[in-house]
Amino acid sequence: MNGASQKLSSVRRDWRERDVRVVLAALIIAVATVATIALFANQLQHTLVSSASSFLAADRQLEAENGRPVPTEWRAEARSRGLQTARMVQFSTMVFGGEQFQLVSVKAVDDDYPLRGEIEFQPALGAPRTMTSGGPAPGEVWLNPRLLKLLEVEVGDTIDVGERTLEVSGLLIREPDGGFNMTALAPRIMMHHEDVAATGVIQDGSRVEYVNLFAGDEPALERFYSWLEPRLEPGHEWESIRDGEALSESLARAERFLLLGGSLAVLLAAVAVAVASRQYAIGQRDTVALLKTLGVSSRAIGKLYLSRLALWGLVGIIGGLVVALPLFWMLANLVSEALDRAVDIHFDVSALTPAVLTAVVSLFAFAYPPIRRLRDVPAMRVLRSQPGEAGTRAWLDVLIAVIAVFGLVYLYAREVSLVLALLGGLAALMGTLALLGWGLVSSLKHMSGGGNAWRLALIGLYRHRRASMSQIAVFAMTLMLATTLILVRSSLLADWQAQLPESTPNHFLINIAPEAVDDVRAFLEARDLPLDTLYPMVRGRLTEINDQPVRQAVSKDAKVNALNRELNLTWMDDLPADNRIVDGQWFEEDQTQGVSIESELADKLGVKVGDTLTFTIGSDQVSEPITSIRTVQWDSMKPNFYMAFPPGGGLEGMPATWITSFYLEGDEKSDLNSFARQFPTISVLELDHIIERIQSIVKQVAQAIEAILALILAAALVVMAAVVSATLQDRQREGALLRTLGGRRSLLVRSTMLEFALLGLFAGILGVVAAEAAVWALQYRMFEGEFRWHWNLVIPVPLISAMVLALLGRSQLKPVLNVSPMLLLRRLE
Amino acid sequence: MIEKTNLAQGATTAMLRVENLSHRVDLGNDTLTILQGVNLEIKRSESVAIVGRSGSGKTTLLGLLAGLDTPTEGVVHLDGARISELSEDKRAQLRAQRVGFVFQSFQLLPALTALENVMLPLELGGHKEPAARARELLSRVGLGERLTHTPRQLSGGEQQRVAIARAFAADPIVLFADEPTGNLDNHTGQAISDLLMTLNREQGTTLVMVTHDELLAARCERQFHIEAGVLTEPASLQRAQEEPVQ
Repeated sequence: MNGASQKLSSVRRDWRERDVRVVLAALIIAVATVATIALFANQLQHTLVSSASSFLAADRQLEAENGRPVPTEWRAEARSRGLQTARMVQFSTMVFGGEQFQLVSVKAVDDDYPLRGEIEFQPALGAPRTMTSGGPAPGEVWLNPRLLKLLEVEVGDTIDVGERTLEVSGLLIREPDGGFNMTALAPRIMMHHEDVAATGVIQDGSRVEYVNLFAGDEPALERFYSWLEPRLEPGHEWESIRDGEALSESLARAERFLLLGGSLAVLLAAVAVAVASRQYAIGQRDTVALLKTLGVSSRAIGKLYLSRLALWGLVGIIGGLVVALPLFWMLANLVSEALDRAVDIHFDVSALTPAVLTAVVSLFAFAYPPIRRLRDVPAMRVLRSQPGEAGTRAWLDVLIAVIAVFGLVYLYAREVSLVLALLGGLAALMGTLALLGWGLVSSLKHMSGGGNAWRLALIGLYRHRRASMSQIAVFAMTLMLATTLILVRSSLLADWQAQLPESTPNHFLINIAPEAVDDVRAFLEARDLPLDTLYPMVRGRLTEINDQPVRQAVSKDAKVNALNRELNLTWMDDLPADNRIVDGQWFEEDQTQGVSIESELADKLGVKVGDTLTFTIGSDQVSEPITSIRTVQWDSMKPNFYMAFPPGGGLEGMPATWITSFYLEGDEKSDLNSFARQFPTISVLELDHIIERIQSIVKQVAQAIEAILALILAAALVVMAAVVSATLQDRQREGALLRTLGGRRSLLVRSTMLEFALLGLFAGILGVVAAEAAVWALQYRMFEGEFRWHWNLVIPVPLISAMVLALLGRSQLKPVLNVSPMLLLRRLE
Repeated sequence: MIEKTNLAQGATTAMLRVENLSHRVDLGNDTLTILQGVNLEIKRSESVAIVGRSGSGKTTLLGLLAGLDTPTEGVVHLDGARISELSEDKRAQLRAQRVGFVFQSFQLLPALTALENVMLPLELGGHKEPAARARELLSRVGLGERLTHTPRQLSGGEQQRVAIARAFAADPIVLFADEPTGNLDNHTGQAISDLLMTLNREQGTTLVMVTHDELLAARCERQFHIEAGVLTEPASLQRAQEEPVQ
């Protein structure tokens, strides 16, 4: 008996059955999509963490802004815990090159710098740029290329940094951690850590930033931080990758998009498997009846089909992985191209779990129930079909299946809001579908036959109303999932585009003295350089909340970096365009009281509108009530502030410098030199390399997202084809009959195409409505965008769906049209 | 496994005995009586035809005799076993060992080749060399060259031959045939019935055939008529058992 079961469930025999092929195709696509997305998301995460790590040149940075070096025993402790460490010192000073002198920002690094990422270096002007993994040797210095002109030196000449003379041995193009740092001043030079003491520049009270770099595995870093945290003093700042880096937000959204895509792939797979296996089960009833007649017991039949399911699962998983791996490899290479460096393929086997689970859950939650019921097919069916066979407890199966698949989506994405949004969209879909079904039945009830294609199509819809409704449900669901993904992708891409448009400010001017503001404005206007708003900047520390010292007011567990350092405070008239008030009110005209706080910081500090914040600025104290809480677009590459005061408010009379940003094209760099000559004390922060890099990463990630979208749309098409072909035999038999009874071919073609077009149209409308509902729910929670009705999809989706289905319907008729009706009827017997 | 030899207890033992068989179907607010008070005894190796019009209850009777279904009332003994009182699985076991079927609509599995279809009951019965036996049977029915064809690639007559080969594959002691020529033209039908009768005689199988074709029925040793669920054995037809039709 066992041998027979095995033979019966051989893949070769199964493969001959169309419905099995559909189930297997659905499974393979599902596993392939979910596995590709999971692997890619993992790779992306890994690459971006390492790529973002290189923004710090390490996994963590400890900065000391208090003018004292970081205690050496802290580094020793880190090394004893298996972490790598490196040191650097940053300060500003005048350097001399022959006749010229210039304020520069010095970065002195030791031999271990950088721990992550590489330095882009050019041996001489015009020579090819190379990536190198270490800084200059002792006695040497690398200059920002702009400095060659400013100092009138060449590579090979020497410059004086304080009392130390260093040889210019190359040009510093890009440092991995050349990120956004307000204290970075003036053009950069890089020298060796050992030479710092000999310069004599660093004196007590000099403004110096000592930075220690750490790299290692995540748990070790976490444990080291737990050890370190109680030892940190004010002025110490522990920085990790995810803190406010420009990329992280965009990439977090890309990751969420991938999760959403993966979840939708899970749902689509489940739908495809459900449809195909139900069809398969219906088709198997005769076989089961025959097997029973031949003496196979119900139990053995149950076992037989269970082993078939297991076999399919195996084939689906293996087939899916065979498809997924090259796809993943392709996508990973895309990222590698974007980053312009070889990305080590991060193949995480555990990322395959959701794919395998998807196959198993789809099979057992969706395919098993109809197949399990095969055990109950009466043997008598071989002689004639039996009454009551159609009666099922289908709703229970559906309930179990829905719970299983949404459980799976949750396991996969770990986002309750995602699951709820998709469930909500589906509920909206089912509700509208019920209404539509009722409308269809009541409006078509009185329609009677006729020779016209429209009437035939409508009668067809009515007579197959059960099948029509379930087909519409599946099509609509598929369209909803695909449309949701298209909508989210569009808004994601638009957001990125909006966030870093072509002329994103890529240079910051810092330290503009109040009296220089007008001259700076004039300088930039004369060169037609678009200037962003100029903001005043006052450095101050948040010391009290509601008259309680912050250290007491804020729980120690809340790791608030902003408390460890001076904040940049500003005043402004108008709310910046990309900020949004989430509580309270923006300053009225003439209002001088109050402060507006950034919403995430407000959350971390646990403060609300009405609470009083006290800042220490130099020797002064300023207390103001919070009057509004606002969101800030940290990744906008514009000056952003945690705290904003009204003009003439609490910051009135405080020592301020001004800050602004502007966009400069690559070939206008020489303007920077004129600027530096005219305004030697103003620091220019060059972010053009970083922005280019972000833009290129975003572009490639966007391409990957498009690829995944294409994969999912293909899956959707397979589902639709599966559903259409599920009724293949009935349609062909009807077509053959119609032709036998004298129906013309053209009538048959037109009525069938119309019927399917109507199905597609209804499904399209429903799908779009449900997708809008789901996107509405998703948009705010997951992607933080504004919801609007997407007319660009509301109209085309139903039309395209009508067209695609009409063509799918037409393709099914092919055998009916080209073969004599007699032959066809015989074949279909 | 119940040994076949145990069951042949003397020549008088009936292969099939039906006592007071009735079958009704519940239609919700009404009850439909399909069979009423049927009594019947069929001897070992006998060939019997049950003739009746569509809807007379003959197919239901066949299903009950073969243990595909259980009657509302009455008892069916098949080869000494009270199959009407056995569980579905016990009946399945009995069918696997002793019963063969030929259907009007052939009932071949569309995904399997002719050979695989014939091998099916052999595999289920744990036969040692199912392929060899199936090949031999297909040659017997004249399809030795069509082993790898699927039902779709065969004509109706050929499909029925595969079905007959399958029916005899497991050496059944009783063969049930439901309108075996019902879907075939006269000529093919004739050939199929010849094949069926010949094989039946050679194997010494008990044959129970349901048909509305009086000529086919006449080739059996005994004929019964069924009308509105009531079975009768017309005396006029009983002579047929003396002179088999060629």
